[in-house]
Amino acid sequence: MNIAVLLKQSIDVQELMVDPDSDKIYLEEAPTKPGEIDLNAVEEAVRIKEKVGGKATLIMLSTWGSSGKRKREAREAIKRSLAMGLDDAIFIFGADGREVDTYVSAKVIAEKVREIEANLVLAGEGSEDNFTGLLPARVAAELGWPYVAYATSIEVEGDHLIVTRSLEDYEEKVKVKLPAVISVTQEINKPRIPKLMEIVKAGKKPVKEEEFNKKHESKLKIKSIKVPKVERKKVVIEGDLDEVLDKLLQALKEEGVI
Amino acid sequence: MRVVIYSDVLDLAKELIGLANELNAETELILAGMEPDNVVGVDRITLYRGISPEDQELVLEALKQAEADLYLLSNDRRGRELVGLLAHSKGGASIVDATSVKVEGDRVIAERMTLGGKGVAVEEAKMPAVISVMAGKYKPPEEGKSPEIIEKEAPSIERRVELVDKKEKPKVGVPLDKADVVIAVGRGFKKKEDLKMAYELAEILGGVVGATRPLAADLKWMPEEVWIGISGVRIRPKLLIVIGASGQQQFSAGIMDSKVVVAINNDEKAPIFEVSDYGIVADLYEAVPKLIEKLKR
Ligand SMILES: Cc1cc2nc3c(=O)[nH]c(=O)nc-3n(C[C@H](O)[C@H](O)[C@H](O)COP(=O)(O)OP(=O)(O)OC[C@H]3O[C@@H](n4cnc5c(N)ncnc54)[C@H](O)[C@@H]3O)c2cc1C
Ligand SMILES: Nc1ncnc2c1ncn2[C@@H]1O[C@H](COP(=O)(O)O)[C@@H](O)[C@H]1O
Repeated sequence: MNIAVLLKQSIDVQELMVDPDSDKIYLEEAPTKPGEIDLNAVEEAVRIKEKVGGKATLIMLSTWGSSGKRKREAREAIKRSLAMGLDDAIFIFGADGREVDTYVSAKVIAEKVREIEANLVLAGEGSEDNFTGLLPARVAAELGWPYVAYATSIEVEGDHLIVTRSLEDYEEKVKVKLPAVISVTQEINKPRIPKLMEIVKAGKKPVKEEEFNKKHESKLKIKSIKVPKVERKKVVIEGDLDEVLDKLLQALKEEGVI
Repeated sequence: MRVVIYSDVLDLAKELIGLANELNAETELILAGMEPDNVVGVDRITLYRGISPEDQELVLEALKQAEADLYLLSNDRRGRELVGLLAHSKGGASIVDATSVKVEGDRVIAERMTLGGKGVAVEEAKMPAVISVMAGKYKPPEEGKSPEIIEKEAPSIERRVELVDKKEKPKVGVPLDKADVVIAVGRGFKKKEDLKMAYELAEILGGVVGATRPLAADLKWMPEEVWIGISGVRIRPKLLIVIGASGQQQFSAGIMDSKVVVAINNDEKAPIFEVSDYGIVADLYEAVPKLIEKLKR
């Protein structure tokens, strides 16, 4: 099996500061990190490789600028994935986030998938900062391959995959002909923590760094990002527990919710 | 302007018809393996009796064959899966999680949540575009034109995905997004049995119990449809009591529309207190039984 794993370096939304009064979102200041679900995709690729052999390549297109800080963070994430067991990586940087919607990203990423002659693409069900799942679907459409989302288990059976996937009301098991694109959920596995030795070895694995070249026009424009206004009282009720609970019940009665 | 609507859930399709009517569009509803019970407000219904909603490839092909400026899909998992596929094959823009959709000339403008709930993006695209719209944002029309119904055969294409098995997931009572009172539980609960407290509290307050993702998805203590958050249900109760959940952004994004939020957590630095109206710093194993006791009095 020749696997392409798609990993997005996402804004760490937990750390992201926003100011509801001025609608300011401190994107540049926020750290980026590999999406947690993307690491599930990395883990799944390594497991498949361990079972049936083959090669797994990481593909990352940076979308949050290409400052020194962003590159450092991205290289860190790439190294971590290589330490988990991927063989090599392609890191495309230099794109201005506003120029790359999912249409453009998918075109660029699919081209790399073709280049490495992968027959399986693994991605996350959603990226940590965007959580749309649009990218893997578009990559599948661009390649003309079948696409199955929300996988909770993947089994290789010759030139087919048996994929279990989780929908709202149903769990489905489908048989998919390779080549294919699959997106995974967080439940599919537990990403391994690489050992020190593996981290050291990962430093020697090949990483191809390429500059983004603008060949495609985005279909979508982000006009603005607002900060949703949620007014919360944020009162921490103090005192001994009895007192605290009495005050809480009093407050809830005044609010008219009990 | 032409709008094509598709959903595997008829009620969600009807909400999309509500939206299409606001846009004054000529509208076609596509249904796969479903009967158009009480559907009004569309010009045409195309029925594919030979396709069932799990035949993703056939549904996609049927949608590809339908010409439209705007494709509106439901935002459930089957709908979302189709958005990128359809948009890419139409060479158009794609948006999921839309909370509002407007059309200005040849452009469509939609709002959607992003950055784990910390931002609302206003996105604009030239049509054609494919958009999945969050449930509950638009009302199904009660009256309107009665549609012409056309029946079509399933398109014949080479199949690469074959359904092997399908299992229904266990169901809970009241859907979380319709409940007035929600008790949300997190990993602060040490054992599944301890959730009894939460159910008792919910019963006294006439509410239902929801959970953070790890409780439903990893520990499987609860059915999956009760996990709240960006990848689960977004709730809007009058009263939400969050117990033993840290309030990570991906969870908190799902509770923003709640009226009053109470948090019980033994860590005073837990981020949940930042998105709550009333915070109680306490061990849930002491606070919840005591709260139940007081409410019973
Ligand atoms: C892309 C993505 C999507 C995600 N989507 C979702 C989603 O939709 N919904 C979701 O919930 N999560 C989601 N997550 C996971 C999310 O990031 C958090 O991991 C999860 O919400 C944490 O669950 P928790 O609060 O139950 O657990 P923890 O974070 O472990 O918090 C447990 C809390 O309980 C408190 N506690 C412990 N003991 C006690 C006690 N005795 N009394 C009182 N308090 C106690 C602790 O102080 C702590 O704050 C997503 C993650 C990613 C990466
Ligand atoms: N810029 C990117 N580079 C590499 N992989 C990506 C990129 N964007 C998205 N992905 C992959 O696509 C999945 C879904 O992302 P999204 O469509 O943004 O929700 C992620 O979990 C990644 O696996």
